Amino acid sequence: MVFTSVVNYVRARGPDEIWRKRRIFKLAAHFIGRRRNCYSIALRNVHRALAYATKGRKLKRADMANLWETRVRAGCEQHNISYETFREGLARTDILLNRKTLADLACWEPYSFKALTDIAKRRALDDGLAGIKADTSIDRIITRGTLHRDK
Amino acid sequence: MSQLKRVQQWATFARVWHIYDAAWQNPFQSAELLKKYLMGMHKPIYHPMNDCGDHVIVINTADVALPGDEWKKRVYFHHTGYPGGASWTLAWELHKKNPTMVMKKAVYNSMDRSLQRRYTMERLHLYPDANVPLNLLENVSNQIKQLRPKPKRLDEYKEEEVREFPKLIDLPKSYIVE
Repeated sequence: MVFTSVVNYVRARGPDEIWRKRRIFKLAAHFIGRRRNCYSIALRNVHRALAYATKGRKLKRADMANLWETRVRAGCEQHNISYETFREGLARTDILLNRKTLADLACWEPYSFKALTDIAKRRALDDGLAGIKADTSIDRIITRGTLHRDK
Repeated sequence: MSQLKRVQQWATFARVWHIYDAAWQNPFQSAELLKKYLMGMHKPIYHPMNDCGDHVIVINTADVALPGDEWKKRVYFHHTGYPGGASWTLAWELHKKNPTMVMKKAVYNSMDRSLQRRYTMERLHLYPDANVPLNLLENVSNQIKQLRPKPKRLDEYKEEEVREFPKLIDLPKSYIVE
């Protein structure tokens, strides 16, 4: 069998050379020295940069999660409750806030965050969680568990 | 900016001075604790690029307690950079030369390698005993709780207290070492 059209396809190499290179140079615009000016070097570094960017998308999420956790831990420590007890207490009272929101509250709204720690403490005390000591400052808070316990 | 907000801003970013008594404490566990204060990780505004770390004064570093037989087994490595410039120093030797060095190394090694690490270390003030310069001591506004209580030795009790301590039995004279 004879393929007559394949020969024509080989010559049609997509967009014009200038435009093909321009696409790479645009991605390499912020590189230093020959990495941005010479095509073959730019191409190599752009490929590498794109690979890093792919990895970075995952790492960024992990880094942010770490930062939020550090901030929430710091906030918990200020109110004498451990991070684990705090999250457990919130989960049990159906306050389903994620780490990002909690970190934002700890950072920007310390009083709202204190209210959350108080609720978590109350619940932890009511449920008898380990790692929480009796605290008279949260006597004003009443949860469903407290009501049942008093009866 | 209102007066309250101005003070709030000032209080949020002010550097606090902490003091820590290292007597009878494990320097490596203490380092993890001190690192948090030095890097500002105990504040909800923490960010690696936010310069919010506090100052920590550590006293009595001469009395740190290494776990197990680490005084004999732990080795500190140093290299001058010249051929044959490597040297290995045992923990007890290093402690003899400089009683603050074990604590300093512990804190330094507990932190991740970064450009900030050296500047963070500048905020750590180590003293082998309780003699801290007054100009530093007057800044202190918080004491970091020790990880474990310092036990009291028998010779630190008054003679009365020892005599009046409740006893179960009186041992025969021949049992007591003079």
